[in-house]
Amino acid sequence: MFLTLLPEITLVVLAFVVLTTDLALDRQSRAFLPYLTAAGMLLAVIFTIVFALPGDKPQLIFGGMLRHDWLTFVFRLVFLFGALATVLFSAGWERVARRGEYYVLIITSTLGMMLMGASADLVMLFLAIETTSIPLYILAGFITEDDKSTESGFKYLLFGAMTTAIMLYGFSMLYGFSGSTNLYWIAGALMSGELPFISMMGTVILVMAGFAFKVSMVPFHFWAPDVYEGSPTPIAGFLSTASKAAGFAVIIRVLLTAFPLEAFGGVDWTMMMAIAAALTMSVGNLIALAQTNIKRLLAYSSVAHAGYILMGIAAASELGGLSVVFYIIVYLVTNLAAFGVVAVAERTLGSNDLEAYDGLSRRSPALALVLLISLLSLAGVPPMGGFIAKVLVFAAAVEANMVWLAVVGILNAIVGLYYYLIVLKRVYLFRSEEEDKPVPIPRPSAVALTVCLIAILVFGTIIAPWFDYSGIAAGALF
Amino acid sequence: MSTDVILFLGLAAVAIGAALGMLFSRNAVYSALFLILNFATVAVFYLLLGAPFIAMAQVTVYAGAIMVLFLFVIMLLGAEELRKRGKLGWQQPLALLLGFVLVAETAYLVFVRGDLVSQIVPAAADYGTPKDIGILLFDNYMLPFQVVAVLLLVAMIGAIVLTKDDRKIERKTSEEKA
Amino acid sequence: MDIAVLIEWIAKSAILIFILLTGFAYTTYYERRLLALIQNRVGPNRAGPFGLLQPVADGVKLIFKEELTPAGAYKAIFLLSPILTMVPALVIMAVVPWGESINLFGREIFLGLTDINVGVLYLLSIASISVYGIVLAGWSSNNKYAMLGGIRSSAQMISYELALGLAFVPSIMMAGSLSLLDIVRQQGDGFYLWSLLGIIEGGQTGGWFIFTIPGLFGAAIFYIAMLAEVNRAPFDMPEAEQELTAGYHTEYSGMKFALFFMGEYIKMIAVSAIFSTLFLGGFSGPGVYESTIPFMGITIGPWPILGPIYLGLKIVASLGLMIWIRATFPRLRYDRLMGFGWKVLLPLALANVFLTAIWVIIFQGFTG
Repeated sequence: MFLTLLPEITLVVLAFVVLTTDLALDRQSRAFLPYLTAAGMLLAVIFTIVFALPGDKPQLIFGGMLRHDWLTFVFRLVFLFGALATVLFSAGWERVARRGEYYVLIITSTLGMMLMGASADLVMLFLAIETTSIPLYILAGFITEDDKSTESGFKYLLFGAMTTAIMLYGFSMLYGFSGSTNLYWIAGALMSGELPFISMMGTVILVMAGFAFKVSMVPFHFWAPDVYEGSPTPIAGFLSTASKAAGFAVIIRVLLTAFPLEAFGGVDWTMMMAIAAALTMSVGNLIALAQTNIKRLLAYSSVAHAGYILMGIAAASELGGLSVVFYIIVYLVTNLAAFGVVAVAERTLGSNDLEAYDGLSRRSPALALVLLISLLSLAGVPPMGGFIAKVLVFAAAVEANMVWLAVVGILNAIVGLYYYLIVLKRVYLFRSEEEDKPVPIPRPSAVALTVCLIAILVFGTIIAPWFDYSGIAAGALF
Repeated sequence: MSTDVILFLGLAAVAIGAALGMLFSRNAVYSALFLILNFATVAVFYLLLGAPFIAMAQVTVYAGAIMVLFLFVIMLLGAEELRKRGKLGWQQPLALLLGFVLVAETAYLVFVRGDLVSQIVPAAADYGTPKDIGILLFDNYMLPFQVVAVLLLVAMIGAIVLTKDDRKIERKTSEEKA
Repeated sequence: MDIAVLIEWIAKSAILIFILLTGFAYTTYYERRLLALIQNRVGPNRAGPFGLLQPVADGVKLIFKEELTPAGAYKAIFLLSPILTMVPALVIMAVVPWGESINLFGREIFLGLTDINVGVLYLLSIASISVYGIVLAGWSSNNKYAMLGGIRSSAQMISYELALGLAFVPSIMMAGSLSLLDIVRQQGDGFYLWSLLGIIEGGQTGGWFIFTIPGLFGAAIFYIAMLAEVNRAPFDMPEAEQELTAGYHTEYSGMKFALFFMGEYIKMIAVSAIFSTLFLGGFSGPGVYESTIPFMGITIGPWPILGPIYLGLKIVASLGLMIWIRATFPRLRYDRLMGFGWKVLLPLALANVFLTAIWVIIFQGFTG
């Protein structure tokens, strides 16, 4: 039983090692800390694959607190990969690179995400969400001498605390209705059919408030642009990928297990999620059109992508689950690459305004290429991974008799393509006066960007294995 | 009426009165004191329900530790007096409305749909003893218990990171070198 | 509810409060006489034989003093805070057992107000709210000295509460219970020589916990933390005369001042009683339980009525030590005091918890 928790234990040990090494080292040699962190996370990845492979049958472990299945497994790797890339991007980002606490916070946040992905009990789930969020609040406001960063941390904290309180209220209702905190018990209690529809639906809404905040679903998306803009860029990437993935991991598990569709007569939460999905992607894409700051633009784009993923959830089918998992994996590598480019470019450009990106292709062709591939993948252009992911969520919506949702999705994809292309136009076609100054890429960032780039292309061309893995992972829910 | 019911009604009046007092007093220290009174009353409710452990934890943690820090901060900041009219605007009527909805909802559940609440079985006399709680905590809830430890540690690190003034420390060390 | 039970409770409460109030009066006398002895002075010896009526004279004086309320004070809180200081000091004694049950008027009467299974937690929770009286007194007086005294004391009490709470743990772990009665019973009658060494007989540690290694550390930490909790020298920071005139009670006079004074001395008695219960075997002593005198083979007891006497003697001894410390040590500087609490006492107390766990496993084995 403890072997299945070995990756998490590794992370806890790693956090303590980093914290104590930080104390022992002087300022110069602290540059070694990100590599130590990355090595520890790689070890956790290896442990996940070698020791923590789930069996054929999902099992509830630690007194029903965690569920060990393929979904847990896949999400563990997703979170670890996101954290690994974030750490590598941070190594080249001078203001945080040598701060031991920074890496400790990333590690514990990752630990919380891994537990979020596996939680099968409300108590565990709540603690996991807090373990994820509290380090992220601090990370967003980490650069205390920068007012924007402080503002971002504070806003994130206030929004987070508020939605968590609402969610907790929903949890208390769930416990009251079912007499248990275990998701599978709750499902049984709700299935007995004694509860009025309105109290069940009300509970879904309350609980969803907390999750919606994590994935920046409309109307809980207001924090995203401000927080992304102010927080350290690697952290903005982490927030928009791993943290969002953790939110979705919880949403699919809780909605599909604790609120089985059979418990609702006729009208159920799928309709609500479909409307939320349509709103989220439309709002995200339309506001993104007006942005002049690349971090804010990527923030609204990530709101829009949350909408696409919600389509798969609204389908509430096996294909829907599969498409969600696949989309999250592709979105993770793509968005990490995009934010990685921003983090690298920020060092030399000194600004996140779109104008600063004029003529980037002449200053650093490699960086421009990564941006091209990742933005095209976000837009959903073949042969990038983003295309397959979009096709899958649209297919899920159509299969679930929500053709209108698929149509909204396709219209949105066109809007998205437009603003991604505006960025690329600046990068490739515009000229600037500083073209002779190259943009250097730090070695660790280069490694991470290369891996992401290869992954985007592989996901888009060799589809079958990833499709199968996503299917297995999603199958754990049904 | 049994003694329990009389006790409950009296305490409930105190608890609600304290909560109202907390809301309406214009002085932050008085608000904090009303909140302490409210917490203490809730602790007595726990005692009546046969959960002495939680009652004691409630007093120690909430009334004792957290509220002392609240008072401490209020006094140190000198933020006792609130403004006459806060800039709440539209929030106030909304809050009243939501509060009313909550009361109506509770009333509906208690008086109309009382059947929804299954028969309540009184807790056994030795239920919730420290020993039982300890065993449960280190058995079923072992993992959450450990996670809480990590969470608290991280929160502590974060508080230090955010409040530590790096520039000051660097200035100090450079002065020492010079 | 049975009327007889109600009467019994009220009578016991009244007796307890009477004992504490008398105890308070004579603790002041005890302190002044003992301080005088240590400092080679005479001390109060005019009122009555040996000055025994001195506390009465003090009381009369305080009653006739003028009551002042400063301008700009928060009146309600200013009135409330002496009470808030006094009440926790009294109610904390509710769970301290004074002896086993005795037969009186045909009823089985337990010597002590009550015994609850979360007794130690009760002590902690009352200790944690006892800080309010002092903080509020300082705040409501509208006086800078008082305010500084109040804030100092709240910081100090919060800091030392942690070490205090952790110092409870050795006794709890060795007794395997949070009930104070169980803790006393576990320490046996303190009569056997070998029980003094903490040697186990039949799987049980007999003997006072202070004679075990973790118990000794625990007692030392507890005693230091408890001095800080009741604001006694060398931790009497909140009322440091030279710096803060009189600290939080600068503006208090007459009976309101007397209540603070009372609260402080009753707290001293209460923490001494708790200290005795946790580490010195509480009310137990030779003859409280049926026991055999070593080497002589004479069986004596059980005489539960001896319990209150033994506990009283232990309290007097502990109070004497407090006074002795006051006469001996100078006051700590404020930052040193906080540093000592957080950086020395708390880690030591934590380490002691581990030590206790090892000790319990070695000498008692796994139980439960």
